[in-house]
Amino acid sequence: MGDLTRVTIDFQTSHLIFPTIIAIVLGLLGLAIVIRDRARIAAAGSYWRASWSAMDKPRFLGALALTLLYFSLMVPVGDIWPNTGLGFLLCSIPYVLATGILFMHERGFRQILPLLIVALVGPTFVWWLFTYPLFLTLP
Amino acid sequence: MFEILTPLFVSLIVGGTLVGIIFGAIPGMTATMAVAVCLPLTYSLGLENGLALLLGLYVGGISGGLVPAILLGIPGTPSSITTTFDGYPMAQRGEGEKALRIGIVASLVGGLISLLVLDLFAPTLADFAIKFSYVEKFLIIFFALTVMAALSSDMLLGIFSGVLGIFISLIGTYDISRGGNGELRLVPPGTEYWLESGFSLLPVLIGLFGLAAILEQAEIGVPKGHSTKDINVGKHSRFSFGIFKGQSINLVRSSLIGTFIGILPGVGGSAASIISYTNAKTFSKRPGNFGKGEPAGIMASEAGNNGLTGGALVPLLSLGIPGDSTTALLIGAFTLQGIQVGPLFIGNNPGTWDAMIIAMLIANIAMFAMMYFAIRYFALVVTIPKHILFPVILMMCVIGAYTINYGIMFDVWTLLIFGVLGWLFTKLRLEVAPFIIGFILGPSAEIYFIKSLESFGDATIFFTKSWIAVVLWILIAGSVAGAALMAKKKKEITDEAV
Repeated sequence: MGDLTRVTIDFQTSHLIFPTIIAIVLGLLGLAIVIRDRARIAAAGSYWRASWSAMDKPRFLGALALTLLYFSLMVPVGDIWPNTGLGFLLCSIPYVLATGILFMHERGFRQILPLLIVALVGPTFVWWLFTYPLFLTLP
Repeated sequence: MFEILTPLFVSLIVGGTLVGIIFGAIPGMTATMAVAVCLPLTYSLGLENGLALLLGLYVGGISGGLVPAILLGIPGTPSSITTTFDGYPMAQRGEGEKALRIGIVASLVGGLISLLVLDLFAPTLADFAIKFSYVEKFLIIFFALTVMAALSSDMLLGIFSGVLGIFISLIGTYDISRGGNGELRLVPPGTEYWLESGFSLLPVLIGLFGLAAILEQAEIGVPKGHSTKDINVGKHSRFSFGIFKGQSINLVRSSLIGTFIGILPGVGGSAASIISYTNAKTFSKRPGNFGKGEPAGIMASEAGNNGLTGGALVPLLSLGIPGDSTTALLIGAFTLQGIQVGPLFIGNNPGTWDAMIIAMLIANIAMFAMMYFAIRYFALVVTIPKHILFPVILMMCVIGAYTINYGIMFDVWTLLIFGVLGWLFTKLRLEVAPFIIGFILGPSAEIYFIKSLESFGDATIFFTKSWIAVVLWILIAGSVAGAALMAKKKKEITDEAV
């Protein structure tokens, strides 16, 4: 019995032991879920179709696309004026404005004006706060 | 002890509590989100002042949820679900202000009782936990994960979520500083540069709790906010403290239930308020009134969810195991300041410990004072348009992720990856809280597991090391068996209903 439970850890490969155990456990749990929920998994196609049709696609996909664009542009824009945080500032103003307009239900001047003010003041204040009092470099 | 009470320290608590209440009062936003968004502000504040801000946000965020729950019948945070049951009917009959004040007083009682438990219990537990070897430390984490998964709405999916969190936390280098061999694992070819240290905790948290919540709202079309016409505070609903006569047992019991639920890792405020409410109804002389505007229901729900605040800090500060999602974020605040929470924390950092207790006390008093006397103004918070709020929050999420490691753009992409993953979790019915706890505890679990085997060379050591190990195994078995019994009972009730 003592020999059966004896374990020798090879330090060179010790980084693989725990991930392997966890991967096996994860696989077994996944298998258990597949067996238990097989009916639900078989009907997953209709579930996703229903989710897709119920989704507000312009707002959801638009938010994702704007966020992707925002993240992608921040560094290249910031590289034009290195170590100033202007990449963040110049990308955040249109991002906040565009996302806000995307999320709006009524897009009249009276609704857009407060958003425009927030889009200008918010990022500018955050940029100032992090650049000067906090001394943290933004993109 | 009181030298910490500087004007800045108190201002940060009061300001944090105010912002937390606003976050909690806006449906779809939570205390966790408030802490996630404001975390980068703690960089230059130092540990005590940073914690003052975050604890204020925590207490305020949990408390603020009662405002829309009562006035609109929409829980501002998950922990206010049961407040809607009796709060909203009261508001409908013109007793909104009275209901709000009942909830605020109950929140204060819950917060203070849980703080007392924290102050008395955490140091004792920490002193005891210092004796733990690698084996007991591994078993404590195993127990925490078991409890958390067992109390998930679906045990199997809860366990899967927790284990998935552990698996993702293992991506990167097997940390030399913690006794590892410095080798990479689970890193796809070509991504070594970015994933050498794995995914950073805070961008992961901000993604799961900030971006994911906004994506969920975007998916349903970012529902229009409420106008002032929707809010019926009830100008003529007289409140008096006499309403609490005969309710002290309900208040204390609910607070203690909330505190106990808080101590259990990853269970969350909704369970605290539901169990407190159910107990209040069971022991009430007028159970039929519950759900129709019974003040005792609001008291139970709010004392229960505020009881969570102190309780959730007990395992964090004594064992290094977060009690809920928000306290998981507090680990980030400690990490930023280079401090590791665990059994040695209270003994090694008595000043910080005192500061936290004082901060929690002031936060609870500030929450009560602000909400009790200015509830009419807080009621207006629910009218803030989401199309203004959400873009600003998204921008703050980016700031938080980017500045966490002093300017790494990969952390911003991590935020996006986990934001989308968090949204997918809700679609797949996976649970975020177990995932997060697994992600946080995974690296420690690995080190303790491997070191136990390296030290003793025998797998049976996990059962034979000490009486503590045996007790922990009994607790693990008990939590699994209890969860299985509860699941069976729930299934029987569902079958009967069908």
